[in-house]
Amino acid sequence: MQVFTSVIVLAIFFMAYIFTDIRDYKERKVKSVTSLAHVIGINSVSTILFEDNEAAKDILAGLKNVAPEIVRADILDKHNNFFAGYLRPGAANPDTLLIKYLKEPVFKDTLLFVGDNIMNNDELIGRVSLVVELSELSALKKSKSEMAAILLIAALCISFLIALAVQPYISKRLLYLVNAIKRVGQTGNYDIPIIDNGKDEISVLVRTFNNLMKEVNESQQRKDEFIGIASHELKTPLTSIKGYLDLLNVMEDKEPNKQCVQKALESTHKLEKLIKDLLDVSKIQSGQLQLNISRFNMVELLDETIAAIQMVARTHSITREDDHEDQMISADKEKIEQVLINLLSNAVKYSAPESKVIVSSKNNGTELVIKIRDYGIGVPEDELNQIFGRFYRTKNSSVHISGLGLGLYICRDIILRHKGRIWAEKETKGSSFYFALPVGVYAEM
Amino acid sequence: MWGQTANQEASLKAVFIYNFTKYIEWDNLNAEDNFIIGIMGSSALDATIEAIAKKNFVKNKRIILRHFNSPEEISTCHILFIPRDYPGPVRSVTERAGKKVLVIADKVNAARQGAAINFVLVNDKLKFEINAETLYTAGLKASSQLLKLAIIVD
Repeated sequence: MQVFTSVIVLAIFFMAYIFTDIRDYKERKVKSVTSLAHVIGINSVSTILFEDNEAAKDILAGLKNVAPEIVRADILDKHNNFFAGYLRPGAANPDTLLIKYLKEPVFKDTLLFVGDNIMNNDELIGRVSLVVELSELSALKKSKSEMAAILLIAALCISFLIALAVQPYISKRLLYLVNAIKRVGQTGNYDIPIIDNGKDEISVLVRTFNNLMKEVNESQQRKDEFIGIASHELKTPLTSIKGYLDLLNVMEDKEPNKQCVQKALESTHKLEKLIKDLLDVSKIQSGQLQLNISRFNMVELLDETIAAIQMVARTHSITREDDHEDQMISADKEKIEQVLINLLSNAVKYSAPESKVIVSSKNNGTELVIKIRDYGIGVPEDELNQIFGRFYRTKNSSVHISGLGLGLYICRDIILRHKGRIWAEKETKGSSFYFALPVGVYAEM
Repeated sequence: MWGQTANQEASLKAVFIYNFTKYIEWDNLNAEDNFIIGIMGSSALDATIEAIAKKNFVKNKRIILRHFNSPEEISTCHILFIPRDYPGPVRSVTERAGKKVLVIADKVNAARQGAAINFVLVNDKLKFEINAETLYTAGLKASSQLLKLAIIVD
């Protein structure tokens, strides 16, 4: 960009320079040829008065030695008829009509046509016209253009070198800033300030960006605190409501009262789950989520969880399809169960009744991979990475399926804390969710 | 100009006579004088010279024409013209002319008989001879612009 700008500026400059130079040359030439015409005019006054065109011709013939660049010279009488003429030996005859009706200096190709009146005591008695070959003009144009081209190339090289030297100072910093912004966008980690020691506009930009990120970070923290406090405050009365509803459920055996109590209890469970999720998120954000590692059989946990979900999702068919070998693993059983419940309920929630959900596990030596395959609405390709973000709801389902969009975020955090991986893949129908936990020596934490 | 008719030639000669005045210096011209052109007898040029005399000035002076029928009649004048058809010998006129009088003749060999300027035809073209010595003796100066066009005789 800098190089391009400097080349444009220099090219304009050189063009102006060549243009004015050539114009100056032409002006000088017009002046000198005009004065020569004037002198010839004065000298030929008597030849016109005495109609002696031989003498006039002699005067013009003298030009051959005095001004060899003159191609043609003419003296016209006051009726504009040719009176005497001179043509440089070997020269092509220039435009005669132009000579006859020449009013002011004319440049044509490399020729200059100049005329001057011949006066005798204020009386116009004739005209002199000279045609000069500007052999220097093309040479001048050529040499100036060459010089301009050389200078332009030199300037181009210099500006390129300067740009190369300045590049790290500007472009590198900009790219660094862009990468930092990208990183912030991807990780949501707002509290890493970008370091820039410059004193120019870029560092102003960086400072402004840092300030903005600081504010964003602060408001994020306030929001997290609010969620934490709010969910905690909501939990206390809810626990009490749930306790009394449980009691009522035991005591009441008359319909429809019992049904009402059970509906209320069902909703309370949902509410409790939401608040639990919010509390988990709050814990994740504040770093208070602790793992309680124990050794257990993953396959057993899978079967238990499938059974539990199947209980509430009777219309779906949840099956496990693998070699049913025991898979011992060291992990926080409760948290892994939470992940499984989340993924399975999602699979049920985002697929039509009567559709299948298939769970499988596979130990590849380094990690145990659990796959939950559904035949639901699927996840658009471009959302596959984003769905694990906080409060992220897939775009084509937000309207009619409830939820805060916290489940996958919590799952991801739990799996990452186990040094595992979690991801989703698009299938021709529905989608597959995977999580992998390290096994054996790879599970050493 | 090439192959002029008699009429054209006559008017050209009249114009020449007038143009000569631009290149000859008379140092005896006083402020109140007119510029006098004397003509021996009458000639084909008369009409043209009269026309020129009416319209033009020589050295800012009015032009007066005088006709002299014989050398005895010659009085003060600045130019004395001897036309081709003047019957008398040139000498008789030039001897009477005196100082500061430019004698212009249109007669063969007149420049060798006391006329300062004499019209000649060279290749059908009107030219003029100048006798520099005669000019000098008459006390007149001719410009080099004129001399370079003239056929110099002595």
